[in-house]
Amino acid sequence: MRSPAARIGMLLLALMLTALLGRSVWQLSMLEPASDLPRQLQDKLAASGVEHPVTAVLLNFRSYDTLLEIAVLVIAAMAGISMARTRSLEDPELRTSDTLLRALLRWLVPLMLLLAGYLLWAGADRPGGAFQAGAMLAATGVLMRLTGLPLDFLRPGILLRIGLVLGFALFLLVGLASAIAGDVFLAYPREFVKGLILSIETLLTLSIGMILLALFVAAPVNDASEPEEGEK
Amino acid sequence: MSNWLMAGLLFTPLALATVSLLLGFRQGRALSWLGMLLQLLVSVGLWWLVRHEGGFYYTLAGWDAPLGIELRVDGLVVTFLLLTTLVASGCGIHAGFYLEPDRPWQRYFWPLYWFLWAGLNTVWMGGDLFNLYVGLELITLSAVGLVALGGQAEALRAALRYLLAALLGSLAYLLGVALVYGQFGTLSLADVAGQVRVSEHALLMRPALVLMLVGLALKTALFPLHGWLPPAHGIAKSPVSALLSALVVKASFYIAARVWLEAGVAVASQWMAQLLGVLGAVAIIWGSWLALCQPRLKQVVAYSSVAQIGYLFLLFPLTFGVEASVSLHAQQGITLQVISHALAKAAMFLAAGNLILAVGSNRVEALAGVSHFLPFSLFSFGLAGVSLMGLPPSGGFAAKWMLLQASMASGQWWWIMVLAGGGLLSAAYVFRIYKASFLERDEQDHFYHPDRRLEVAAMLLALASLGVGVSGSQVLSVMAMPFEEVQ
Repeated sequence: MRSPAARIGMLLLALMLTALLGRSVWQLSMLEPASDLPRQLQDKLAASGVEHPVTAVLLNFRSYDTLLEIAVLVIAAMAGISMARTRSLEDPELRTSDTLLRALLRWLVPLMLLLAGYLLWAGADRPGGAFQAGAMLAATGVLMRLTGLPLDFLRPGILLRIGLVLGFALFLLVGLASAIAGDVFLAYPREFVKGLILSIETLLTLSIGMILLALFVAAPVNDASEPEEGEK
Repeated sequence: MSNWLMAGLLFTPLALATVSLLLGFRQGRALSWLGMLLQLLVSVGLWWLVRHEGGFYYTLAGWDAPLGIELRVDGLVVTFLLLTTLVASGCGIHAGFYLEPDRPWQRYFWPLYWFLWAGLNTVWMGGDLFNLYVGLELITLSAVGLVALGGQAEALRAALRYLLAALLGSLAYLLGVALVYGQFGTLSLADVAGQVRVSEHALLMRPALVLMLVGLALKTALFPLHGWLPPAHGIAKSPVSALLSALVVKASFYIAARVWLEAGVAVASQWMAQLLGVLGAVAIIWGSWLALCQPRLKQVVAYSSVAQIGYLFLLFPLTFGVEASVSLHAQQGITLQVISHALAKAAMFLAAGNLILAVGSNRVEALAGVSHFLPFSLFSFGLAGVSLMGLPPSGGFAAKWMLLQASMASGQWWWIMVLAGGGLLSAAYVFRIYKASFLERDEQDHFYHPDRRLEVAAMLLALASLGVGVSGSQVLSVMAMPFEEVQ
């Protein structure tokens, strides 16, 4: 892999693929849009329980994709915290004891929490939703952590693990309940659809915030590592 | 009935992953035994259903494609689901006794294991190009997590390299999917296939196909994109290596094959098919040669995977521009190769793990004298080797025989030399291990005896890989179960 020939080969491959992609995108822009998918989406939007097409696609029409994507996030968080040193959570070196930052945070944290709540609520009829709100929550957590405010729930314990999977678990339970009720997997019953989507989104927001924050906190690598099999 | 089975296949692995995250390693293990049993029941149930009522499309969330996601269940899917149940259970049982339960990071093994299984089930059944991408991501991320688990720096390095290569592959595939969506306005593979056949100017399908195939070839570790595989598969714990080699690389190949056969053949060209075949052929020879030169036992097995993956890529030349009967023959041969390699390679990695546990070293020369001490595991290793070499009556033999026939029937005689040469080279690296283990050395006499159950898991998988050869036609009959075209 390190040899110059291999490097040049990889470079050529990358260049060829880029050229191919560029030409294809150019051709694609010349094409007439052949799809009637946007029209179908508009037709079915009323039945989806939300008014914003992106949220409808993410949480209703293609909810299985979203379910698995949350699973991917949970996996990333697990892989992260499985390598974390427990002690690093209280690592004083990571703290900044800046009075200005602390004073600023008193204003910022409530505002950011409010904004996260707004983003979550806005997802119903305009851009927003669990992912954006979760990212906002995580950012709040990062700021709090940098100023050394105690975040005990982030210690690798049962609370952290429950928090990580909470949103995913509810999503999954709804899927199971729909299968038991006789419809297909993940089909929401018509009358509860709005409430279900809202509760899934709320718990997802919390979990996504936890996951992103856990990844930030878990950055240092395990010291107490295992030797490779057969090398002791 | 189908509703329950599908919920069982899609929901149970995810639920087990969630619950086992909240438990410790031992409770997670107990739960996982139940889960494996359940997966066995569900996949056998699905086999029974498809056999009696034919395959079907299953639309998730109650929305039909192209708006929603559809899953496709047919004979081939059932074959792969059964294979996954068999191999993943074998590796899971081995892992349950192989991993040290008291390490704090081992509690994350079972969640990752079940997420991996969920991803595999999703990919086998996926009928939607984007959903296949998400399934692949699920598989990749959990596989990387498993490689890095409890990782010392070396494992972390291998895992990171694996992650970067796999992400690059996913990205190329996703760009291909975006081109397909931009042109046809649908993500359903069946719809795309239908439109490619009727449309006169599906001119963007070919670049999309190239992007998808390059991405998937990187994820499948086709030569010369295989650099990430041996470190990752070599450094992971043995049951994890077994899962990775047996099932994970097959998932991306499966998607490539499915896209190629349904929508690709119509727009591909002869040079693309031959190029993929040639790269596969080089992988067979080069991978086997490198396997022969490796000083560490698990690296030998990992490079052997690079070689065996090469055989899979003979699918492309053997199904392009040939008669339908020849193409079917090649497809059956490749399916048998996937099955027998999955079983044999899982058995081989598990046996290698037992041998390493016994001698306390991962070097090939340290195996001296182990033939007296651990004949059972060594025998499993050899049985798996028989299948990799392609000796009768193993599954590997049946697969290579069918590929040989397909090569002759399509007039592509040059693949025959590769098939024969690859078999000889695999014999060489398997016998090298045997030779090392039969050597006598006086000073070393302190072997550790691994748990009997570890040896049984490896043995059962090795026997299964032989069984595939004996009952090849029954295995293929599952694949040929009828499919009711609903659309």
